[in-house]
Amino acid sequence: MSTAEAASPAAALPGWVMPVAKTLAVIAGIAALIFALVASGIAPKGSWAHKILAAPFIEMREMPDLLVQTLWEGAVAGILYALIALGFVLIFKASGVFNFAQGIMVVFAGLTLVGTYELLGRVGLTGMPAAYLALLVTLGVMALLAVSVERFVLRPLVNQPDIILFMATFGLTYLLIGIGESIFGGNPKVMITSQLGLPRGAIDLNILGGRVTLQKIDIAAAVIATLMIIALAIFFQKTRIGRALRAVADSHKAALSVGISLNQIWMIVWFAAGVVALVTGIMWGARSDVSFGLQTIALKALPVLILGGFTSVPGAIIGGLIIGIGEKIGEFYWGPLLGGAIESWLAYVIALGFLVFRPQGLFGDKIIERI
Amino acid sequence: MSTALPGETLLAVENVSLRFGGVRAISDVSFDVVKGEIRAIIGPNGAGKTSMLNCINGFYHPQEGAITFKGVKRPKVKPHEAAVGGIARTFQNVALFKGMTTLDNIMVGRTLKMHRSFFWHLFRNGPAMTEEIEHRRKVEQIIDFLEIEHIRKTPVGKLPYGLQKRVELGRALAMEPDLLLLDEPMAGMNLEEKEDMCRFILDVNNTYGTTIALIEHDMGVVMDLSDRVVVLEYGRKIADGTPDAVKKDQTVIDAYLGVAH
Amino acid sequence: MPPFTDAGSNPHGVCHDREGGPEPPGDLAARAQVGGDTFGKLLAGNARIRGPRPAMRFKDNGIWASWTWAEVYAEARGLAAGLQKLGLKRGDKIAIVGGNRPKLYWSIMAAQILGAIPVPVYADAIADELAYVLDNAEVTFAAVQDQEQVDKLISVADRVPRLQTILYDFDRGLKDYDHGELHHIDTVIAAGKAALGEPGAAAALDGEIAAGKGEDVSIILYTSGTTGRSKGVMLSAAGCINAATDTVTFDKLNDTDSVLAYLPLAWVGDHYLNYAQAMVAGFCVACPESAETAQADLKEIGPTFYFAPPRVFENLLTRVMIRMEDAGRLKRGMFHHFIGVAKQWGEKILNGESVPLAAKLSYGLGDLLVYGPLKNALGFSNIRVAYTAGEAIGPELFSFYRSLGLNLKQLYGQTEAFLYVTAQPDGQIRADTVGPATPNVDIRIDPASGEVLYKSPGQFIGYYKEPEKTAETMTPDGYVKTGDAGFFDATGHLRIIDRAKDVGKLKDGALFAPKYIENKLKFYPNIKEAVAFGQDQDFVTVFINIDPIAVGNWAERNNVSYGGYQELAGLPQVYDIIGAHVDETNRTLAAEPMMAGGQIKRFLILHKELDADDGELTRTQKVRRGFIAERYQPLVDALYSGKTEQHIATEVTFEDGRKGTIAATVAIRDARTYPAVVVANATGAMGKAA
Repeated sequence: MSTAEAASPAAALPGWVMPVAKTLAVIAGIAALIFALVASGIAPKGSWAHKILAAPFIEMREMPDLLVQTLWEGAVAGILYALIALGFVLIFKASGVFNFAQGIMVVFAGLTLVGTYELLGRVGLTGMPAAYLALLVTLGVMALLAVSVERFVLRPLVNQPDIILFMATFGLTYLLIGIGESIFGGNPKVMITSQLGLPRGAIDLNILGGRVTLQKIDIAAAVIATLMIIALAIFFQKTRIGRALRAVADSHKAALSVGISLNQIWMIVWFAAGVVALVTGIMWGARSDVSFGLQTIALKALPVLILGGFTSVPGAIIGGLIIGIGEKIGEFYWGPLLGGAIESWLAYVIALGFLVFRPQGLFGDKIIERI
Repeated sequence: MSTALPGETLLAVENVSLRFGGVRAISDVSFDVVKGEIRAIIGPNGAGKTSMLNCINGFYHPQEGAITFKGVKRPKVKPHEAAVGGIARTFQNVALFKGMTTLDNIMVGRTLKMHRSFFWHLFRNGPAMTEEIEHRRKVEQIIDFLEIEHIRKTPVGKLPYGLQKRVELGRALAMEPDLLLLDEPMAGMNLEEKEDMCRFILDVNNTYGTTIALIEHDMGVVMDLSDRVVVLEYGRKIADGTPDAVKKDQTVIDAYLGVAH
Repeated sequence: MPPFTDAGSNPHGVCHDREGGPEPPGDLAARAQVGGDTFGKLLAGNARIRGPRPAMRFKDNGIWASWTWAEVYAEARGLAAGLQKLGLKRGDKIAIVGGNRPKLYWSIMAAQILGAIPVPVYADAIADELAYVLDNAEVTFAAVQDQEQVDKLISVADRVPRLQTILYDFDRGLKDYDHGELHHIDTVIAAGKAALGEPGAAAALDGEIAAGKGEDVSIILYTSGTTGRSKGVMLSAAGCINAATDTVTFDKLNDTDSVLAYLPLAWVGDHYLNYAQAMVAGFCVACPESAETAQADLKEIGPTFYFAPPRVFENLLTRVMIRMEDAGRLKRGMFHHFIGVAKQWGEKILNGESVPLAAKLSYGLGDLLVYGPLKNALGFSNIRVAYTAGEAIGPELFSFYRSLGLNLKQLYGQTEAFLYVTAQPDGQIRADTVGPATPNVDIRIDPASGEVLYKSPGQFIGYYKEPEKTAETMTPDGYVKTGDAGFFDATGHLRIIDRAKDVGKLKDGALFAPKYIENKLKFYPNIKEAVAFGQDQDFVTVFINIDPIAVGNWAERNNVSYGGYQELAGLPQVYDIIGAHVDETNRTLAAEPMMAGGQIKRFLILHKELDADDGELTRTQKVRRGFIAERYQPLVDALYSGKTEQHIATEVTFEDGRKGTIAATVAIRDARTYPAVVVANATGAMGKAA
């Protein structure tokens, strides 16, 4: 009988079950601890221990509507983080390059879209047709970017150490900033949300004895991002190109020998990453505005990647959600204790914690060192 | 059997020389491969066998000489273009996609045979689905042929070396090549695995009529397997002919027994 | 040759609904067993009453293909007609060599339709064994799996002069062979189907089926005897069918059941459990893709009836345990907790005893989290009835599977009986017995030797061409000698001690039951095989084969490095582990009055794994004690001479027939023995022992 597929009860469970079960167990453990602390009187009301360990949870229980609101906002942010992380994962999987320029690609795509729309406005084209024309043009620009990156960056640098390629993406970042500023100027622009047919306004839900407000654009963002993620996952796992992509990620030599052109694959991957960047640009742009400041949100993808692993699509999604929800909850319930604005660094702390206990990430390939 | 086999010449290597800087890896080597035969390239370690194979499938570009494949003299080809042209190969140290399953590895071998566009694949329906099923059937036939059903879903990185070699052969077969290059297919195997591999190579040649050029340093295995043998030593061709003729050749005997030069 | 005893007394000739017990739901007619005293008639009957129901499945090119009873019948008829055209006639023998593939089963059916006699041979038999069986059986035809078997047949062609025609199933590599007397089974079937199109041909074939008689030889199965050449056991058609009918009724099998046929075709177990029972009950037989995929295929098919020898259950458990040792802490903790729950309550729940509600809930949760997923991973989810037999099963092992809710039972039988002699009915399961006699089986214990004798419906006609050996095996009044010593316990269940001829005595007259001792040792996961010596000696000694997976895993966990089996086996720490097992074994032996004198004084760990290719094990993986004693004579001598180590060089045969030598210096250790425990009620202690 085969030894290759040894039987075990774990084999019958989907891969995500154990991590989720473990997380739940940890949460339950912490909750029990807190309950014990409060109940035993070690943390009397008004003490710091009470403020940190008990008050936020009591607040969550007493105002569930606020909790739902926070969770929702966290989830939307998380899905968008996941989308950015996906751009990184795509390129990293296929070419082993950590693409520092992914953040600026988001801005660049957003700027190109809005800028093109403005340009079209000057020749008298407005409204939805112009918006979609601008979208097409932007897609074309992203494709051109992919071709150029492959031709002028990756091809000359093939077989160079990873660090050289990483540095090259640094260069690319500043090149894109330069190009963007000189063409579109440095001022923030407003995303052409309604022109693209994206909804505005909000839905108010009266639940849990309070009101939860859902921005329609957030709902749209969540839906579109989810569809995008599903499409990418299927593309990666099930299609010819997806298989070729994974093949290239695994062994260049072998991929070449079966007739896969590395150049073509790199182009496809960078284009896909460009499309992801465009979608992210539209969604973030619609929530705030389109400016170079937006590229810092791309740095949020780093903790997401640390959580999810650099090569895992489901990892990017779950990692994104954890970071997104984690930082919103942290900001809302614990932020005031520290004078607020912990949202900007909390994600990195969460990631640091993960690095200590699970350096390969939630879903990364297990690191086994055998000497 | 004479040196020149009857039949159409599939591959002709003429006066090929390859240098790395000042080091001559191959010097003025010529030979041909006839359609349908099993052609062996043998020689002691460092004789330039793998370099020769790398020239044929485009990993290296010889400085001098010409390589004619299917009657067309090739300029500098890239490896993936050689693959498009109908040349498949395996590697001495196994180059598989280690994180992927046996099935996916062999499916990747079908890449060139799949034509539906990226767009169709995204939707996984209609023509792309039909095509996927068609290719899966082909791959399953290869899995059946190579008796690797039990490892279909196993990531190849977890497989023992002998099985990895078999999967690699399967991936090359999936390309339905006109010329199959095997770089030391029996290296590092135990006797039983070697015999299995010999049988598979003969069966591939017999069943699919695939032309095979293989490299080995172990003379014994090759002599039973191949129709004709080229012997290289220090990058030079020292003999070419049927296994029996080569075995009796004094230069070859000297090369293998290590007579002082 | 003894007359066939039971043919008339057990009327199965009519189509009848299940008798007794609650009716299974569904269409009554479809649940019915078909009548007939030959397999040809049964096949025709199944095609008639359950034509559209699945009869066979086979995973080919990654996809499960299936055939209905009507289709199988059509294929078998086609093949029969094709074989007839090639010259196969009533009474001819046709060898079947290969794995569990539908076309080889159809070959058996086709032969039986024509009244020819199939002779299945083990697919891994070496050329020499194959030549002996084929020549002895006087086969003229052979249906084989692939090139490997064709090559083997060609290589022994001069020793099997009667063999003229070979059929093969898988054509890889056979393209350039001389196809004069070599045919693809598909082309034979196609030719046969074409021939059946001729006027009158179909009716003529029906005539062949009708001409078959119950007392005809239906199949010859060669036993892989522990000594000497294998013997051809002739089984009659009616005998096979009657025996299968009894057990199909006993275990309430019907055509909604299914099995995975992974046991060797040439073994009585496959012919009985998969072939005969399927024909009688009308259930579906699935063939694995290859021998190596059987475990994965089991999971996909999820059969309802399952048989495996104890060593398969043991290997599965070892693997599960290893996986669990490597699993995360939470998973491992969960596993061990719920296995503990199962150990405490599982068997009671399976046996329908009353248990506290909390236990039921806890077990239910365990089923959801551990037992269910585990059974699913092992392919045991749908199993209604599972059997094990062939050797004694460790009580721990047996309880483990039962506690998970797997209805695992034991049976006792042999080829001459067409497998079953005893079987455990539901609700009367114990690890140390093999159950009471199956319906219509009569068992007697020889008062002098303690040997088990039986008369059964499936009882064989005789050994092919060996009437004197047949006579030796039978008592004058028609009972078959099993060669096993055993006794009935207070509950009427049979307990087997050992081979009758192997139960010997030490010099001081103490009872020496080597297999009994070996089995006790083998129940430890670290011990794969044991061979006990002591006949006419002063004391008992054993050779031990460690289990390389279990011990290797221990070594890995404890950072002990080793280069291979030989080095692992020689490690002093490994000797310590095994020594502890021997010590425990002696303690339990001391508690058994009959066995206390047979405690192990000295032992060694053998430097190589016992292997069927070296003749040390039979093809069914039983140790050949005499052969081993001869082969390792210096080691046996050393065990009795008081030496602490001994050098030995052994010749081994590789699978390709090449020979080589393995040499080693093997350490020998003394074991502690215990004084016999005096128990007031000696028989009571016996009942609990083992």
